[in-house]
Amino acid sequence: MNLGSKFSAPIIEKSVYGCLTRVVFGVDQAYLAEPGQFLHVLCGSEDGRILRRPYSLFDTASGTASILVKEAGPGSAWLARREVGEEIDCMGPLGRPFSFSIFDRPALIAGGAGIAPLIFLYKNMCSEGMEPSLFWGIERSGDYGDMPESILAEFQVRIASEDGRVGFKGTALELFTSQQPEDFSAIYACGPRGMLIELTEIMIGDRRARLQLSFEERMACGVGACKGCVVPASDPAGSYLTVCKDGPVFEGKELDWARLKSRVWQ
Amino acid sequence: MGTPQEPRLAVEISGINLRNPLLVSSGTFGNGREYSEWLDLGMVGGIITKAVTLLPCNGNPPPRLWEVPCGLLNSIGLENKGVEAFLAEDLAWLNRFDVPVWVNVAGFSDEEYVAVAGMISDSGMADAIELNISCPNVKQGGLHYSSSPREAARLTAMVQKAVNLPLYVKLSARTADIKEMAVEVQKAGADGLSLINTFPAMAIDVETGRARLANVSGGLSGPALHPIAVLAVWEVAQVVDIPIIGMGGVWSWKDAAELMMAGADAVAVGTLNFVDPEAAFRIAEDLGSFAARKGFESVSELVGLTRRGGIV
Ligand SMILES: Cc1cc2nc3c(=O)[nH]c(=O)nc-3n(C[C@H](O)[C@H](O)[C@H](O)COP(=O)(O)O)c2cc1C
Ligand code: FES
Repeated sequence: MNLGSKFSAPIIEKSVYGCLTRVVFGVDQAYLAEPGQFLHVLCGSEDGRILRRPYSLFDTASGTASILVKEAGPGSAWLARREVGEEIDCMGPLGRPFSFSIFDRPALIAGGAGIAPLIFLYKNMCSEGMEPSLFWGIERSGDYGDMPESILAEFQVRIASEDGRVGFKGTALELFTSQQPEDFSAIYACGPRGMLIELTEIMIGDRRARLQLSFEERMACGVGACKGCVVPASDPAGSYLTVCKDGPVFEGKELDWARLKSRVWQ
Repeated sequence: MGTPQEPRLAVEISGINLRNPLLVSSGTFGNGREYSEWLDLGMVGGIITKAVTLLPCNGNPPPRLWEVPCGLLNSIGLENKGVEAFLAEDLAWLNRFDVPVWVNVAGFSDEEYVAVAGMISDSGMADAIELNISCPNVKQGGLHYSSSPREAARLTAMVQKAVNLPLYVKLSARTADIKEMAVEVQKAGADGLSLINTFPAMAIDVETGRARLANVSGGLSGPALHPIAVLAVWEVAQVVDIPIIGMGGVWSWKDAAELMMAGADAVAVGTLNFVDPEAAFRIAEDLGSFAARKGFESVSELVGLTRRGGIV
C-alpha cells in the first residue's frame, strides 16, 4: 500500500456529467494509488469552511489522478467550480484499498456517485485478465449527463435506473439479485449506506466474508488521528473503526451491522 | 529535551525546554504516530497527547463531527485504549523522539484521575501532565469539575500529590468566572494552565429537525473559538503567575502572536493539524521571522506585551 503525501496539483482537465464533475489533477509520474483509496482535498468555500474533503480516486494513469466531485455542500460546490490550471492542495492517497485475487469471480455494485472507486477497481481487474461484472444503479437517467452512455460504450457494465429509462428498471441491488448472485465469489460495493446495509442483509452468514464495502463518513484529519469518522466494529466490546485509516474499504464481517443500521440519519 | 531550531524561538516553561513555543494540542494529533509519516515529530515544540483514561473507552456513537463556518463541532467522547496500552504502545514509542510530551489525562471520577496521572508520572516517560477537566463530551469527569472552582481545586490538589511532574490544568471558557477558576487551581498546586478547551455547541439539520451529532452537543474548535481564547488568556494572565499554554483556533503566526501578547507563554495548534500536519512547525518559523522583524531577541518578549503597553 502506498504512503500518502501532501502536494499541490494543477487541474489539467475537467468534465461535467450532470451532478458529477470529473476533476483530473496533474501529478508526479511515479504517483501510485490503489482502487478504494482517496484524496483528502482542501476546498475553499464562500462561507469559511475549513476542513479537507475526501474523494475516492476514480482513476490514476501516468502523471494524472482523477476524482468525481458530487456537489453536496459548500466545499464540493467550490471544488466543482475550479478551472483548469488552478492549483489544489491534496493529501493522499489515503486509506485501505480494495484487495482482490485473480482467481475470483467478482461482482462490483455501485450506487450513484459510488461508481468512482469501482470503475478504478474494474480497470485494474481487467488488466489482470479478470472478467468482473459491474452493476451501476442511478436514480434518474439524466442525473449523470452522458456518463452512463460513455461508460456503457467502454466497459462491460449493466446499468439500472429507477425511472427505467436506461438499462434495467430498478435499483443496482435488484439488478444484481436478478443475475444469479450465487455465481460470484467476491462482491465489491460502494454507494449510499442504505444500499450497503441492504446488501449485507442479502449476503448473510459466511457469504458476508466475500463482501468488501467502501464507506463514506464525515472526516477531519483523514489519517486516523482524530477518531471522528468512525463506524461500529463487530467486536463484542462495542468499539469503533475509523473510515479514513482502517477503511474506507471494510470486509462485511468487520462491522457491526445491527449498530450501523440503528444510525438513522446521515 | 528539545534542541532549539533557532535561538530566538527557544522557550522554557516549567523547567522544560522547547525548541519553539508551538505545541500540538490534545486530541488533534493522535499520539503522534499517525502524523509521524507526515513530519519529523522533533520539529514541533511539544506534543500533548490524546486524552487517556484508566480503562479503554469506546467514545460516543457517530456521527461525531460537524463542520460549521470557521469551526468544527466534535463529540469524540474520549475514545482511547486505556492507560496500560497507552503506556506500553504509545508513550514508549513517542519517547524515541526528541520532543517534550504532555500527557492529557481524563477520568470519570476523582480516583480515576489520580490513578492515571500517578501511572503516567511513575512511568518516567512524560515531561508533564495536562489535566483535562473541561471535556464537553462526557457527562462526568468533564465540565463537572470546570464549572466549580472548588471542585477543580480539590481535584488538582489530589492529583498533585500523586505526581512528580509539572501539572497543567486545562480549562474551559464555559465557566462563570475563568479568573476565579484559574486562581483556585493555582492555589491548589497547579504548575501551569492550558487555555482553552472547545466550547459546548450544537447544530441542527433543518431538513430533518435532528441534531447533527449523535451526542446532540459537541465542542466547538477552530477560528470561531480564537477571540474567546484570546480573552480567556488575557484575563487569566493577569491573576496567575504560572505558565499558560494558549490555544483555540490558531490558524497562522498572527493568531499565535496574539495569544502570546495576551499572556500565553507557549501556544498549541489544534484543528489546523487536520488541514496541515506541518502547521505547528510552519507557524513557529513564521513567528520567528516576525520576532526578528520587530527586533526581538527572543519570542518570549511577546508574552504579555499588550498589558505592557504594546510595542513601543
Ligand atoms: C477532534 C478533537 C478532539 C479533541 N480531543 C481533546 C482531548 O482528548 N482532550 C483535550 O483536553 N482536548 C481535546 N480537544 C480540544 C483541543 O485540544 C483544543 O483545546 C481545542 O480544539 C481548541 O483549539 P483549536 O481551535 O486550535 O482546535 C479536541 C479537539 C478536537 C477538535
Ligand atoms: S477523519 Fe480523523 S480519524 Fe478519520
